[in-house]
Amino acid sequence: MSFIEVLSSSQILFAALLTGAIYAIVAVGLNMVYGTMRLLNVAHGDIVMIGAYAAYWLFTQLGIPPVASMFVVAIFCALIGAALYKLLLKKMLARPGDVPHLEARSLLLFFGLSLLIQNLVVSLQTATPRAYQYMDHVYRISNLAMTGNRLLALLVAFFLCLAIAAFLRWNIFGLALRAVIERTDAARIVGVDVERVHLISLVIGFGAAGVAGVLLSMMEQFSPFMGFSLTIAAFIVVILGGLGNIAGGFAAAMILGAIETYGVALTSPNMRSILIYGVFVLALILLPKGLFHKRFKK
Amino acid sequence: MKTQSFFIKAALACSVLIGLNSPAFAQEPPVRIGYSMSDTGPFAMASQEQINVYNMWKDEVNARGGLDVAGKKRPVEFVEYDNQSKPDQSVRIYEKLITNDKVDLLLAPWGTPFQISLAPVLEKYKFPVVGNTAASVAVRQMHAHYIWFPTSAVPDKMAVALTEMMKKNNVKTAAVISNILPFTKEIKNYLDPQLKKAGITVKYETEYPPSIKDMTSIVTQVKNAKPDAVLVLSYPSDSILFEKQASEIGISSPFQFVAVGPSTAAFRQAVGKAANGTVTLGHWSPDRPEWKGAKAFYDDYVARYKYEPDYLNAPLAYMSLQILEQAVAKVGLDKEKLRQTISTDTFDTIDGKVKFEGVENVITPTAFLQIQNGKLQIVWPESIATSQFQPKTHP
Repeated sequence: MSFIEVLSSSQILFAALLTGAIYAIVAVGLNMVYGTMRLLNVAHGDIVMIGAYAAYWLFTQLGIPPVASMFVVAIFCALIGAALYKLLLKKMLARPGDVPHLEARSLLLFFGLSLLIQNLVVSLQTATPRAYQYMDHVYRISNLAMTGNRLLALLVAFFLCLAIAAFLRWNIFGLALRAVIERTDAARIVGVDVERVHLISLVIGFGAAGVAGVLLSMMEQFSPFMGFSLTIAAFIVVILGGLGNIAGGFAAAMILGAIETYGVALTSPNMRSILIYGVFVLALILLPKGLFHKRFKK
Repeated sequence: MKTQSFFIKAALACSVLIGLNSPAFAQEPPVRIGYSMSDTGPFAMASQEQINVYNMWKDEVNARGGLDVAGKKRPVEFVEYDNQSKPDQSVRIYEKLITNDKVDLLLAPWGTPFQISLAPVLEKYKFPVVGNTAASVAVRQMHAHYIWFPTSAVPDKMAVALTEMMKKNNVKTAAVISNILPFTKEIKNYLDPQLKKAGITVKYETEYPPSIKDMTSIVTQVKNAKPDAVLVLSYPSDSILFEKQASEIGISSPFQFVAVGPSTAAFRQAVGKAANGTVTLGHWSPDRPEWKGAKAFYDDYVARYKYEPDYLNAPLAYMSLQILEQAVAKVGLDKEKLRQTISTDTFDTIDGKVKFEGVENVITPTAFLQIQNGKLQIVWPESIATSQFQPKTHP
């Protein structure tokens, strides 16, 4: 494909937007949890996996379509987040220690949790990869062909991003959340209930991850081990966008989706990892605080 | 005194009852069969069908009264260890199974790299194992004497058969897209010269990594090339990805081959109607009445696991068990006699007769399956076909 053909292809644009939108809703939870609590949640991709399995079982066993079950799954994953906070994280956060210590401890905790979740799902559901068919009617708009499920995934992911952005912009809890990300101590002094903000960020982050799982399950085959590569992609997005910078994360996710899709179309599919990690390494060297550091610094 | 005699009587009565209730083979010690499997790690998904078949066979044999060991029925017991998807770990486990657990028989681990790395251990301890889910030209080159491979999906022969099948169906042009993992890479290496020899022009070709998540640009370019045949040398998850995106963007080539994946139930469940017409690897079908037990195997598997067996790996695993079972029935557990029998006898399996020359099965032909109305049919070669090839139509 020539350069012009690639750039003018609506099919590739659609693929880029979809990839980016999925990255965005996976990464937002990771970013919030890191931003508010300085916890490195390497089990984040496994929450997406739980979402995918939940959607699969609700659909194939109970006949609840993903378009409805995504609400149930979001609540379920949000509850996992809440339970995790009450049972494990609250105690860990209360313990004295500086940020690097907390990051190291959280890394170990979530790594263990990730192994635990994966193998729990393997023992409950076996490692057999799963997939199902849902909304695979093809819609055509001139040259662009879209399967119903991919179109739905794009719309839901965009809507969720907008909803989270609006929440952070206008809702009082959203404002508190941003305040905690920027200056935890200052937020505490002016009366922000930091613990509640922690809980909210986990609930929203895990809920969004659950929805991402539902969307992915409609489109591709998944297994108990699907989470790891998503966690990695989310980390790249979060670091590109700036740790704790939610809006920057959304933008970085779209950029990563575009790099991946257009880069592959212009070069070769074998270049995918080189492109993604190449950009990542370059960003770390040239803009270690993320692409949007200056713009969002107050 | 009275109570004592009552207890003695009661104890006697109980022992008689226990004796009546226990199976006939209670006196015979179990045959201990060892293996290692990728229960965890990246290959846990791929080895699932093989584990299923092993467990099903064990229960079947025990329900029949046990394994026939040269005329004597003995119950079967498995000694299983997880190799964490690491071939070196698997090798150590087999050494332990032989020297420490002292198992009576061994079954193969999942996959080509695991079975290849097992061969030297078997040579060292002179312990025969019937291989199954391994397919590579490399197995032929290692000149092993204690492992055999019933598969007929070996890349060099497959490349010849696939090209022949395409010629028969008037394919003049092709697009080849291939995963860079070893098995598909090997197919591609043997396929390229065959296509050239047959005068089939390759209009588009590309490789992709296993981490691929979106094939929009590949599929768009295949569509633009308008080839007669699309040859997708893929692994299960990218097979589904390709098929879904091909039906979205709309590829109209009448001959579409997708290497690994379409033989599984998961593929058809994921892709649905769009899977119809896809040709894939496989040499088994439950619908050949002369293959004794093929239908029963299919029915038992579906009854037990609630989904259809993979037409490639599941029957291969079962064939290896049948071959071992028949050899043990004939000569017992003596390793040298077993080796002799396995390398010279002809065995009846659910995939027809099997006979080994060197490590290879020389009876089962290289074959291809096609999904027709959601069902897998053998369409090549004619000698074992269950249906005719039908050009793929785009809905």
